[in-house]
Order: sequence, then structure tokens, then C-alpha cells
Amino acid sequence: MRYIDYKTILPGTVVGFLVALIVIIPVFTTNPMILSIFIISGIWAIATMGFTLILRTGQFSLAQAAFMAVGGYVSAILTVKLGMPFWPSFLLAGIVSGIVALLLGLVVLRVGGMYFTIITLGVSEIVRVIALMWDSATGGAQGLLVPPPPHIILGSFEINFAASTVPYYYFMVFLVAITALVFWQMDRSRLGGVFLGIAVNPILAEHQGIHIMKYRVIAFTVAAVFTGFAGAYYATFLSAITPLMLGTWQSVSIMIMSIVGGISSLVGGALIGAFVLYTLGIYLNRLPIYGIQPFVYGAAIVLVLLFLPKGTGLIDLWGKLWHKVFREPEKAEIAEE
Amino acid sequence: MPPAILIDGLTTSCLYVTMAFGMVLVFSILGILNWSHGSMFMLGAFVVYYAVTAGGIPFPLSLLVSACVIGGLGILIQMFIIERISFTVAGLGMIYVSAVTVGLIFFFEGAASMLFGLQIKGLAAVLPGVLDLGAFSVSYQKIAVVVFTLVTMITMYIVLNRTKLGLAIRAVAQEPLASRLYGISVRRISWIVMGIGCALAAIAGGLMAPVYSVNPFMGRIPLIMSLLAIIIGGAGSLTGAIVGGIILGLLNSIIAYYLGWGSEIMLFLLVIFILLLRPQGLLGASPK
Amino acid sequence: MKKWYKLTAILAVTVILLGMFAMACAPTPAAQAPTGPIIIKVGMPTALSGPAAPWGQSSVEPYETWIEVFNKEGFKVGDKTYNFKMIQVDDQNSEDGGAAAAKQLIFGDNVKFIVGHWTWNWGAIAAVTNPAKVIFFSRTGDDVQSLYNSQTMPYCVFGNPALEQSNYDIRALTIAYPDYKRIGILDMTVGKNAAWAVQDAQLDKWGIRFYHEWFPPNVEDFAPYVTRLHDEGCDIVYVAGWIGESMMFAKQRWEMGFKDMHVGCSGPIIDTSIYVDTCGYDAAQGYFGQYCAPWEYKKTVVNPKYSEQCREVLSIMSEKAGKPVVYTGWTPYLPTHLLILSQAMQAAGTVDDPDAIMKAIRGGTFDTPVGKWTMSGTKTYGSPVVFGSPGALCTIQGDKEVYLSESAMDPLP
Repeated sequence: MRYIDYKTILPGTVVGFLVALIVIIPVFTTNPMILSIFIISGIWAIATMGFTLILRTGQFSLAQAAFMAVGGYVSAILTVKLGMPFWPSFLLAGIVSGIVALLLGLVVLRVGGMYFTIITLGVSEIVRVIALMWDSATGGAQGLLVPPPPHIILGSFEINFAASTVPYYYFMVFLVAITALVFWQMDRSRLGGVFLGIAVNPILAEHQGIHIMKYRVIAFTVAAVFTGFAGAYYATFLSAITPLMLGTWQSVSIMIMSIVGGISSLVGGALIGAFVLYTLGIYLNRLPIYGIQPFVYGAAIVLVLLFLPKGTGLIDLWGKLWHKVFREPEKAEIAEE
Repeated sequence: MPPAILIDGLTTSCLYVTMAFGMVLVFSILGILNWSHGSMFMLGAFVVYYAVTAGGIPFPLSLLVSACVIGGLGILIQMFIIERISFTVAGLGMIYVSAVTVGLIFFFEGAASMLFGLQIKGLAAVLPGVLDLGAFSVSYQKIAVVVFTLVTMITMYIVLNRTKLGLAIRAVAQEPLASRLYGISVRRISWIVMGIGCALAAIAGGLMAPVYSVNPFMGRIPLIMSLLAIIIGGAGSLTGAIVGGIILGLLNSIIAYYLGWGSEIMLFLLVIFILLLRPQGLLGASPK
Repeated sequence: MKKWYKLTAILAVTVILLGMFAMACAPTPAAQAPTGPIIIKVGMPTALSGPAAPWGQSSVEPYETWIEVFNKEGFKVGDKTYNFKMIQVDDQNSEDGGAAAAKQLIFGDNVKFIVGHWTWNWGAIAAVTNPAKVIFFSRTGDDVQSLYNSQTMPYCVFGNPALEQSNYDIRALTIAYPDYKRIGILDMTVGKNAAWAVQDAQLDKWGIRFYHEWFPPNVEDFAPYVTRLHDEGCDIVYVAGWIGESMMFAKQRWEMGFKDMHVGCSGPIIDTSIYVDTCGYDAAQGYFGQYCAPWEYKKTVVNPKYSEQCREVLSIMSEKAGKPVVYTGWTPYLPTHLLILSQAMQAAGTVDDPDAIMKAIRGGTFDTPVGKWTMSGTKTYGSPVVFGSPGALCTIQGDKEVYLSESAMDPLP
């Protein structure tokens, strides 16, 4: 798996420019449909980052959508059934999701590998069934209707979630930025190297004294915390949560977004994968060819794995383009001098 | 408990046995878990459906046709997709293969939706009628499932234990390196085994098509159930797959009878329980 | 110098690509014809992919044809004539799909009304339509009961009483089979919740003998349920699930020897050939389902104009297909919604003011292909806007649907 250091390819100015662009999009359009696409892509991007993080420790988790569901339900139940205000219940959603992952991970990451994947599949189904059966808390098959976050008053400036999609958009940007920063820092630090080490060669890592379980559990838990936040925000944005919304097959979509986006870059790959595939999916669903969206998703991951070098995805195509156009001529210039 | 429940359980068991056996065969030889096994089941059912209704081919022959077509598809997948992805960084190769086969689930479901449409299709006209045994009756279709599964399993036994090909397959399963030294092409055996595995899934699909119905999403549950059956029986063991399949099928019907809608969660909890207490299942070898 | 030139070029390309992406998702509004009827755009989220697709896809052509037939005359408000234009979007029967579909319809295609909704994502769509003041025609059902709030959702109309209707379907069964022993209700919604308790209470009040049982989704093997329902003495079984499940139940109960058990489904029969092919000819005989050929209703009086419109749709479709098309399962849904909408617009004297139109709908009397009904009912879920259509059933005889029985709805409180 190729490990690309993006500082050489994407200078800070470009990242800054892109971030500025994203921040001023609502100036160009406040159309809820378009903003909604960005918001939901951002939510899936967070979940995808979680998946990629876990994948980098060598584990293949099909339970990420289930953690979104846990986060979503915790936030919904606390707000709707227990009358808690929005922000604490949102935080608790991530925390509970993390605790669930911690307990699950401590028990299950021991076996790892294929067994771990099958158990995560089982977990997805069990979360769905619990949501369906525990109807005094979760509303059963009907689910729960989630109210919007309350008004925020900053001085003379009022942020009203119920009136427009723009506050949701900025909150999404904020959430994605925080998640991206945390994950990026984890990746750059020693943790990132250790994760890759135990993924590529666990036996060697163990011989070097690295406690494999500890790092696997850390990755799994951190991923689950942010995925829980993403799920809570998803439920809030859609104003509803039901058992079938976030199940095994959504976890499969997350996996596809992660690998098609590219796992060499924890943050960038997830962002590109989620945005491109989600937007493409929306567009495909408008076509009268029924079934084309799963077909294209499946084809995308098969093609990416077949034709791009292992561990790379769309983000690396962009990186290569940048490298070819920008860096190589620069080197040639330097060489000429 | 009425005998009808046991008979239904037996039919479901046959389905799970065939599916799990195919999956374990592929896992033992190729070392990969083929997540698109359920898609092969679904495509096999569609091939049988069109062979019977549009082609007018009699049912048993249609099963054979389906086995060949889907077996061929499996071989192509192995040759052109899985092999290309497997030669990769150690430790992560299995993940990429899993990722690709999971992606194939969506690919085939989408393709089937586009090609065959989403209306439900049925094959009740194949082997209609019931065998009245006084206290209860069994449909001929269900009897056919049991009979054909027995035939298939016996054929598998004969192939694996009494033919040269079977000998080669067993050799590769136990000692791939040594087999290569003896001139067995591990690669060709992989192709053949993948073909057999997918063919088994297709036969299961074709057998269940008249009993239930045919639609592009019918492979999801059999996939999950064959994974559970393999866990119960033990991932590396072929007899384990058979035992696991039988147990799971019978349990499925019995629990549904007593618990109704509570049965869903029971099977998953049972399997997770087994995985944590005895990960090698009932008959498998201890994991490393 | 060269470096910055390339840098800006690439960034510009990226920005343009992003912009094109966004534009591609927002179709440009079509130009209005200068003369002729004014077009009112309505949007319909429906399941066109996924397991619910058979019902959704079967209705695409009938609805398009019905709107053509309706538009021949159109309707007049004041001195202007109006026509409807419908845009159907796949909502995948899921919350995110529904919200996305509603947003595309309202903010991309600029529809002012969402009609014909029947999938199970009511809450997510209502969350989009109510703030946008878009009138949303859906149906009642288990996903609405405890979620509806008349204060926060003033622009919701329930054009089909799905939940109440199943009770009236069951009452129609008791009319068809007066010597029945017990009716088994096999429900797909897992878990007993408040909505079903209300339903059961109503059946008790009517003195109907029944037994209510649930099954989880994705079941194909119904032997345990057939056995249990038989043990409970049920000789009629009403399956409230997808067509697939009801067909499996019918097939398996026949194979298990319970040939006297009447079986049917809570929805309309799409095409008798599907049932014959999947269950077998014998097992499919007597299978009952919702009957939607209003010209054959015996008790409910239907305005012949609307019956004729539906029959015209069938004949147009039959001509196009080159063979007789008899599927009528679509008549109580979209046509009813659009007729209520157009009549309300006429009563309110406006096509643009959602508050005035909603005022006209509450308590108004509307004439539709499933009869005339007064939207009263201030106490039903706190909303007056539920339209009552009769519980009417048919059975499969031979390879045709034949009228079975009918039970008109009592006025809702």
C-alpha cells in the first residue's frame, strides 16, 4: 500500500483555498437540494473516515452504519423520550457509540480477520433487530421523529435551524473539519505508523513489542465515536430515524466509498469517495433504469481494485495529476538551472 | 411440535448445506471468503427460471445448465478479478478480495434488477402437487430439494474422494506448496474449485426457485445464513459445513415456531456466542 | 510565473467541475406554453427500485395515462383552466431516499404539491414539505400514527386511510364469509405498538373474532405461522405484508394441506398471473385482495364520470400493450389525491395559497373514483384530513379478479 505524504503534493495554500471555497458555497446557492447533497456527503464522509481508519489496522468492519444507528438512536431517544436538550444528547450519542465499540472491540478484536468481519455483520443485524423490537424506546418499525436543534443566539445574530438549510450546512462543515483534523493528526503521529504496521505485518509488530489489541481497539473506538456523531447528525438532519435506514447494506456503501476514494489518504480519500459516490448515486436514481445505482457502485469498487494500484483510489488520481502537472515540471525547472 | 416444522427445517437445511459446502470448499482451497456466494445463488435461480419458462428445458436439466453457467461465471470472476487482486501486499490481500466480492453483491443485484426487472417471478408450475401422508402433506418441490441435495452431496463426495481431481483438490487444500512440487497446477485447481463452489450455489438457488420465488434480492439471506452455518460448523471443515447447515436449518424453523418474530435475533446471538466461546466451531481446527 | 499559471488553471478547472456537478442536479425549469391550460407541477415519490418496486413500477404507466385523460378537460379555477404535470421520483422506500426525492421535487423541479405518496418514509418527507409549505398527500398507516402532529405539520393530507381500511377490509371479509370461525391477521410490522392496539380495539368493538400475529421481514418459510394460525382456529388469514410474503403464505398453507383456509393480502392484486405462477393455480384460487374497480362497487356510489376516466385509462393502456390490461390497483391513490386537490383549489378559488387550500380541504366534501366523502374528523390523530375509502375486496377466480364484498367506512370522528 502506497503511503503518500500530501504535504509534498498539496501545499497549504491549495487546501486553504478549497476550504474557503467550501465555506462560501452558501453564498452562491441556498437551494436546500444542493446544500443537502453536500451535507449528506459530509456525513457519509465522516463514517467513511472511520471505516478507513479501522481498515488501516487491518480489520474490515461492516458495522459502521450500525454505529451511526446507535448514535442516531441515542440522540433521538434522549431528545424525544427524555426531553434532553440537543447539544448534550449529541455529545452523548458519540460517547455511547464509542463505549459500545470499546466493549465490543475488547471482546471481538481478539479474533480479528474474517471472523471479525462476520461478527460486525451480525452486530449490524442485531442493532437493527433491537431497534425494531424495543419499541417502547425506539418507536419500533415507525422509528422516531427528531426535532431540529434549537436556535443558537450569538449576540444579535440568530441561527435558526428550523428555518433554513444553511445552519445545517455550516454545522456539517464544522463536524467534518473536526473529524478530519483529529484523524489527520492521528495519522501523522506515531499512531498512524503503528496502525499500518500491525495491518501489514502483525507478527513482526508483536515481536517488536507492540500490543496489537490496544491499537486495534483504539482505532475501532475512535472511529465509532465520530461515526456516532455522524449518525446523530444524520437523524437530526432527516428529522427521522428508523431501523432500516442504517443497516448492513449501508455499511457496504461506506466500504465502497472508502476504497473507491482511496485508503492511502485517510481524510482526502474519504471526502472524495463519499462526495463523488453519493452525488453520483443521487443522479443515477433519477434515471428510469432501475437498479443502476447499486450496479455502478459495485462496478466502481471492482474497477478501482482491478486497475488502480493497491490502496489507491480517486484521491490518488488527483494526486498523480497534480504531481505530473505541477511537481515534475518544477523539478525539471530546478534540474535545468 | 408438528412434523411439518421439521420437514420445513429439513428443506431449509438442505439449502444451507449446499450453500455452506460451496463456500467452505472455496475457502479451504483459495483461502478467500466469497461474499458474492449469495449473488451466485440468485443468478442461478434466474437462469433456472428462464431456462424453464423461456427455454422450455425440463427442471433437472435446467439445474445442470444453471450449474454450468454460474460455475463458468465463477471461474471468470476468479480468473480475471480475484486473482489479479490477490497478488498483493501480504496481510491485506484478503481484505481486498473481501472488498471486491462484497462489491460484486451490489453489482449483480443491480445487474439483475436492470436485466430481469423487479417484479416477483414464480416457478410453482414445476413439480406441482403434494404427497399426502395422512397427518401432514409435503410438496413434491420440497421433496425434490432434499433428493437433489442428497444427489449433489453424494456426487461431491465421489468427486472429492474417488477421483483424481478430488485427490488434487484435497492435496492443494492440505499442502499447496507440496502439491505444486508434484506438478499440480494450484492455479487451475483454484479455478475449478471456484467453479464448483459457485455451481453449488446456483443449484441451491435453482432448487429453491419453485419453493419460494425469484427476485434480485433473494441472495441476501442465504449468504448471511451460510456464513452463520460455516461458523457453527467450523470454517475450515467440509463436514462442519454440512453439520452447521443442518443445525441452522432445523433451528431456524423450530425457533420461528416457538418465538415468532423473536426468532431473528436468536440465530445471530447464538452464532456470536459460538464465535466467542469456540471460534473454531464444532468441527473446525483451532485458529492460529 | 508559470507555476502560478498552472496552479490557478487547475483550481479553476476543479471549481468549474464542482459547479457543473451542482448544476447537473438542478434541472432548469421548463418554459411555460404561452397559451392553453396552465400547468401545475406535482411530484410523486414512489418506490421504483428495491423490494417494494413491484407496486411502484406497476403504477407508473396508469398514473401517466390517467393524468393525460384528466388533462383533456382539466379543471377551472376562476376563469383559467389548469392541467397537472406529474414528476415521479424513486425514493427507494427509505428515509434518506424520501427526503432526497422530496427536496429534488420541491427545490429542483419546483413542484408545489407532493401527491400519491404510499411508501413508508412519511416522517422524512413531511419534515421537508411542511417547512416549505408544500401540501403533502399521503396515506395513513403504521408509520404515521404516533408521529403525526397537527401543530407542526399543517400541510399534510391523508388521501387513503390505509390503517382504518385494513379494519374495513376485515369487516368486508366477515360479510363475504359470514360463517367464518376466526380471522387471523398476520402483520409484517414487528412489535406491538399503539396503532395496532387501536385497531384491535375497533375489531373487538365490532365483535369480530380475530387473532393478531407478527412476523419479521425477509421471512420466506411460513410453515411455523401457518401451523400456529391453524392451531388458533383461523380459517381466514389476512396477511399485511408485501405481495411476496402473502403469496408464500398462500402457497405453503395449500401444500401443508390446509385447503379450506382463505388467504389474502392487504393490498391490491397486481396481476393474477403473478399469483398463479408463484403459488400454483389451485393455491391461488380464492386469494383475496383490495378491489379497485370502482364501477363494480355494489354499495359505494361512485360518480360515473370518474369511473369512466379510469376505464378509459385501462383501454388506452390495453391498446398500447396490444392485450387487455386489467390492473386497477392504482385507482384509489393518485387520482383520488389529485381530484381532492383540484376540487379544493376550486373551492378555495386559488391554486397558489396552500393555507387557503388546506382550509378548503378540512371539512370539505370531495368526489373521487372511490366515492364521495366529507373530510371531517377533528379528533383523528388531531387532524381532520383523512379521506375514507371503502374496504372492498376481490378474489382470484380462474385467472381473473372477481368482486367479493364491500364494507363502507363509518364517518371518522
